[in-house]
Amino acid sequence: MNEIGSEHFLFLSAALFIIGMMGVLVRRNVLIIFMCVELMVTAANISLVAFGWELDSLSGQSFAIFTIAVAAAEAAVGLAIVVALSRRVKGAVDIDEARSLRD
Amino acid sequence: MPWDLIIFYMVATICVLCAVGVVASNNPVHAAIFLVLSFFNVAAIFVMLGAEFLAVVQVIVYTGAILVLMLFVLMLVDPDDLPEFHAARPVQRYVGVLLGAILLLEVGVAIIDRTVTGIPGTASREAVDVVGGNTQALGRTLYTEYLLPFEIVSLVLTVGVIGAIVLAMPERLGERIANRRGTISLGHPRGTDFALPVGPLEESPIPGSARDEAVMAGPQEFGRELVMVRDAEEQPVVDLRR
Repeated sequence: MNEIGSEHFLFLSAALFIIGMMGVLVRRNVLIIFMCVELMVTAANISLVAFGWELDSLSGQSFAIFTIAVAAAEAAVGLAIVVALSRRVKGAVDIDEARSLRD
Repeated sequence: MPWDLIIFYMVATICVLCAVGVVASNNPVHAAIFLVLSFFNVAAIFVMLGAEFLAVVQVIVYTGAILVLMLFVLMLVDPDDLPEFHAARPVQRYVGVLLGAILLLEVGVAIIDRTVTGIPGTASREAVDVVGGNTQALGRTLYTEYLLPFEIVSLVLTVGVIGAIVLAMPERLGERIANRRGTISLGHPRGTDFALPVGPLEESPIPGSARDEAVMAGPQEFGRELVMVRDAEEQPVVDLRR
């Protein structure tokens, strides 16, 4: 297999990260914002693995596994917050409706 | 053009297009499906980078667990909120796109200009093959060099799961447990009274048992009768509304 330059992977990572960032800034639906955060985490993972691949090191993949674990915990807590919010506030999927953490 | 470059461009294009679909789709369910597609392509990218174990983890954890969780939450929230686009105010939208373009420019310059200064590690392709493959090599690294972070991550996951349960527990469940009077006991003379509705005990209708029926069979003309008993267990239960 021929070598692809690691710039390709880094550009893909940057593109995914920026699309995710734009989604966080542009959308107001809290679930979409959540998905965009996951997209940004994945972009960071691609970057980590690409650097590890370039330097012949397994540290990048190890850190990517830690990132995935933390992202899973973050998803559980974040979605629980969404469920709790949607029970208390009407229309809480719109983040402009949920302004404060207490009633 | 070598074949692997063609495959890379194919996978990367689908990945980026699906990411755009996540941001641009009206319906959150469609966004979730686009996210699944995008993550599958990211798994393919991981395979191209020689990280097969990570590719499998990506598919199982992200597209298997997190996206299913997200679809469950989509079903739990109010369906009236879902189909609209929910875009931000125009100013915020333009600022967001502008910031994204600037960041893309900066990162692009950084990627093109970069020089590799790190010392190459020992995990070259031949070394990984000697150990037995990517999974074995990664396992050795995780359980020797990164053992403490690995344990800490398991702690983080446990705390996260407990926190999620506490946050998502209905408030009324706790109230119901706190307001429960009486006991759950099958040997109790009154029988099991755990099915009492929430409210003061005096107003709750209690189904009569055999002993209560004996009490009610007596004279019916008493009004509210004062009963002196030593403890609560002795009190005859009388349904005054009958």
